[in-house]
Amino acid sequence: MGNICVIGPTGAGKTTYLAALAYCPQVNNQIFTITSVTEDAKKIANKAQTIIKNGASLEPTIIDGVKIKSFYDLPLYQFKIKIKPWLKKADEINLVVRDYPGEIFNELVSGIYNELHLEFIEECLKKDIEGCLLLLHGWEDNSDNFYSQVMGKFIELMDKHDRSQNLRIAVAMSKCERGELWPGRLDPENDIFNVHLPRTKSLLRQGILAQNLQFYAISTFGVLERNDPRPNRQDETDQIGSSRSILRIPKKWRPYNLISPLYWLSKGKRMRYGV
Amino acid sequence: MGVVYIGDRSVGKTHLAFELANPQGQYVKVCNLNYDNLKPIFLQPDGTARATSTIDNRTLDVQVQLSTGRSQVSVEWIDPPGEIFRVPWQLEHPSEWNSFLETVRQSEGILLVLPPYREILKPDVNPETYITQEQWSNRFDRWTKFFSYDCPKARHILICLNMADLFSDHLDKEAQTLAFNPYGTQLNWLQRHIYVRDRYFFFVQSHLEEINRIRGVSGLSVRCFITSIYNRTLLELPWIYLASYLGN
Ligand SMILES: Nc1nc2c(ncn2[C@@H]2O[C@H](COP(=O)(O)OP(=O)(O)OP(=O)(O)O)[C@@H](O)[C@H]2O)c(=O)[nH]1
Ligand SMILES: Nc1nc2c(ncn2[C@@H]2O[C@H](COP(=O)(O)OP(=O)(O)OP(=O)(O)O)[C@@H](O)[C@H]2O)c(=O)[nH]1
Ligand SMILES: [Mg+2]
Ligand SMILES: [Mg+2]
Repeated sequence: MGNICVIGPTGAGKTTYLAALAYCPQVNNQIFTITSVTEDAKKIANKAQTIIKNGASLEPTIIDGVKIKSFYDLPLYQFKIKIKPWLKKADEINLVVRDYPGEIFNELVSGIYNELHLEFIEECLKKDIEGCLLLLHGWEDNSDNFYSQVMGKFIELMDKHDRSQNLRIAVAMSKCERGELWPGRLDPENDIFNVHLPRTKSLLRQGILAQNLQFYAISTFGVLERNDPRPNRQDETDQIGSSRSILRIPKKWRPYNLISPLYWLSKGKRMRYGV
Repeated sequence: MGVVYIGDRSVGKTHLAFELANPQGQYVKVCNLNYDNLKPIFLQPDGTARATSTIDNRTLDVQVQLSTGRSQVSVEWIDPPGEIFRVPWQLEHPSEWNSFLETVRQSEGILLVLPPYREILKPDVNPETYITQEQWSNRFDRWTKFFSYDCPKARHILICLNMADLFSDHLDKEAQTLAFNPYGTQLNWLQRHIYVRDRYFFFVQSHLEEINRIRGVSGLSVRCFITSIYNRTLLELPWIYLASYLGN
């Protein structure tokens, strides 16, 4: 059983990503079968249906002191993913996933002084955590600067918790259906991270063992058709820099590349088959 | 879990919430209130609502039919008198006001109920009791500040332009356009919001953007609705929206 934490800044799409995974069982797919095991996973699958598919955004995950007070209040999703590629042997991964509040990640730069918040970071660096899926969604101006500072802090903490040699980090550019990113999805390390987040990328490469670091591009919303790369997305406001968007056409919902980072995080080798 | 109705005097806060309990519901039912028994408490003999005199709290057990089945939401319905949103009242009652603000901050949903402005009223409605669009817009400035500074972290903000029966010539048609159907393909929530915003809230669009901007990533975008106690479809919409988040 692989314990995995999904981390990243607020609005990166972490909760939506997990909702799509949990909802996937209802979506027909010849290669993957995902079974949601926990109650939380079933609940969020319902929300995928009533919220995401109805043109609204999920609620941000916040340490509000009411629903979420401590690490243990974070929803816990357990998935069993069966992979049966055409003419190949079936494969399976079992995952226990925690969905982190982005605010923790945002706070890393200035330093986390709140005991409660500190606990969240400690938990994700504990020995029984196999890996972290780090979702990043910003690629414009300031993002590289901000992410590199945060990841600098994160790598320091990995060292401090004795995890620098044995924690896998899958770094994924989320929402990659965006026109500026979509063409780079096939070689994200070179065509997305090197281009848009060069400092962050080289900092990660320097601080984390090569075998423990992989780059991905994912999009929970995806594009309209295989040969119609218009994003299946509508932005909530015209505001620049706002990170809220909705799924435009639920009937055409085909997430892109959701499973391969999880596969690598849990197996340590890359998944060969398409998504 | 709390849901607070806010808004000035006589805009329809109490009646709008109470009418939900009418057993003629479509997708929304209030299970723990008996409409007929409570009528004399909330309504006057002529069917209009009684003015609220204290901050009333009641539990509402609401059942909403969603595409995933029935969703059960149990909330504290908080119904203040509109009086408390007048600055003089707030200055005279600082501790009550602050404790009310605390309640607002801790609640899951805030429904701002607004009256129609004079310019959109149907010709047969006496315009005198309604404020002009300009006055309305100025008042909305203050609501913008309220959301931005007094409760920037509120999870759900729903803005309801109430008494749609007084301003919409084709209320049924408008309701049909906006209607929710758990199984069909109607407008989605964003499209509903944009439809209502562009028709009825266009002159305060920058205010709406300002609220969203200040809320940033810690809350969802505000949503605009039109409502009326005389139209069940419109009356239910804000609650269907809330239930998809708050329900179990
Ligand atoms: N364009 C696009 N938007 C997405 C995608 N996935 C999620 N979003 C939107 O991104 C916004 C934030 O999504 P969340 O899943 O709440 O983000 P989060 O990382 O969980 O944020 P916190 O809980 O605040 O840390 C919402 O408006 C989503 O609808 C995607 O694949 N593409
Ligand atoms: N035509 C029409 N009248 C309404 C509607 N909603 C409420 N009313 C009436 O408007 C008046 C004020 O409604 P209330 O519910 O008492 O308003 P309130 O905001 O609670 O007022 P306070 O308690 O004084 O703050 C009453 O006569 C209601 O019956 C509506 O949708 N259409
Ligand atoms: Mg989240
Ligand atoms: Mg009242």
